[in-house]
Amino acid sequence: MDVIRHHYWDLLAGFGVSLELTLLGFVGAVVLGTVLAVFRVVPVAPLRSVGTIIVEFFRNVPLLTLLILVVFGLPDIGVTYSLFTSAAICLALSGAAFVCEAVRGGINAVPVGQAEAARAIGLSFTQCVRFVILPQAFRTMVQPLTNVFIGVALSSSLAAAVGVAELTDRAHQLTLRYADAVGCFLASGVLYLTLALAGATGGGWLERRLAIKR
Amino acid sequence: MYPSICPHRSSRRARALIGVLGAVVALLAACSSSKSAPKLPGSSTRSSSAYDAVIDSAPVASSSTVSANAWAVQIKKQGDLRVGGTDAGPLFSIRDINTGELTGFDAGLSQMLSRYITGKSDVKGLTTLTITTVDTRETLLQNNTVDAVFATYTITPARALKVNFAGPYYESGDAIMVRKDNNSINAVGDLNGKSVVTEADSTAALDIKRYAPQAKVTLFQTDAECVAAVQQGRADAYVLDQSILVSDASANPAVKVVGHPFTQEPYGIGLAKSSPAAKEFVNAWLRTIFADGEWARLWKATIGTVVPGNPPAVPSIGSVPGS
Repeated sequence: MDVIRHHYWDLLAGFGVSLELTLLGFVGAVVLGTVLAVFRVVPVAPLRSVGTIIVEFFRNVPLLTLLILVVFGLPDIGVTYSLFTSAAICLALSGAAFVCEAVRGGINAVPVGQAEAARAIGLSFTQCVRFVILPQAFRTMVQPLTNVFIGVALSSSLAAAVGVAELTDRAHQLTLRYADAVGCFLASGVLYLTLALAGATGGGWLERRLAIKR
Repeated sequence: MYPSICPHRSSRRARALIGVLGAVVALLAACSSSKSAPKLPGSSTRSSSAYDAVIDSAPVASSSTVSANAWAVQIKKQGDLRVGGTDAGPLFSIRDINTGELTGFDAGLSQMLSRYITGKSDVKGLTTLTITTVDTRETLLQNNTVDAVFATYTITPARALKVNFAGPYYESGDAIMVRKDNNSINAVGDLNGKSVVTEADSTAALDIKRYAPQAKVTLFQTDAECVAAVQQGRADAYVLDQSILVSDASANPAVKVVGHPFTQEPYGIGLAKSSPAAKEFVNAWLRTIFADGEWARLWKATIGTVVPGNPPAVPSIGSVPGS
């Protein structure tokens, strides 16, 4: 435990990188996932197909595979991103597939009558989605989105496998030096737990705020 | 127009699925065809029979030697040695994909130690491998999951607080690999300010920080990934055990090894502190194979297949702090 006392700063710096990865990955996932979800519900067949293909690809390829393809595969065709950027992109892409399904689930949970009513009062498709469907859909999305956040936060540890100096990588480097794996990974475990719990608490707070008081 | 559920017609589903699979196949094909797969030394059968011959001719302890040592008695009763190591370390411990046999310098030593105690001669049945990493080695010894760790395990005082080390049985040094067209890095001092990769499970990361404090160190999981990083220009240099780098460079014309080894890495055999008898027994066995030339023959059959010249002088047992 001496290792942690003397090197807590190292672990915290790694935690900072993990936090950045998580936030970038999650925000990217929400933006991309929402776009994909709209693709999957629009009344234009080709867009729906594109949405389906993208979602099924990124949802069904393991994140580690995706990371290795982006880090070691893309440079072979002349595209090289930094390790951090690669990791953030992969987290966003794989998160987006899950966000898309959460958003689509939320949209589908809004009774069809709501869309029919919106159409009856003359709203366009965009207006209908923006003012009627999404605000109601968002309420049922909060918990699934919280799950995606926690998923992204914990998956960010896989970035260590491709050399990003985040929390798991720092814990590993300290172990290399001081041979105290249990101590280092206990400490990093506590930090991941904190991050995930913070996400869950935020989700719970948002859910209570959005709840309809009856 | 409803922004609602689009009906799932099964034909559309099937078409989408075929599209996804097609895209995956195309991507994989693009990735695999763009460069030939790296050839790892030790994964071919070329020296396999010579290797087996070395193990088969290794000495066997007399039954009185074994029965005089509590740890050895226990191993003999088990019938095989439970070894902690890796199956993906070129030259030192790698699984032969054709025969499923573990070969390499570390693997060979573990098999020879097992043969010394049990007297068996079937190379595959001598040891049971548990894959260990830097994060698990000490713990697996402490909780008695493995009997000994053979894993290019550098003896350090910090580690010696947790486990006992027999040896050193081999002294190696870190060297530098760069791209063929790189002429700016020739010695370890040139690594300052450069991006350097190394294997996550190697103490090379610590050496780089000591000898070139301004280098930016990145850890990758495997040797192949580190070579790819250098080849693709993601990193300026790759630092690891010289013999491994030499074997990589001999299989890959896009990279080269520069300078001389700048560290001394004494490799030891990790043993549990709860079996104090083990260290003395293993050290005595090491002296035996040092003296009768088996150690040198194993070097020739493994590391000697890529590093030219004669085997190095044997290290002196107990000569480094922590051993």
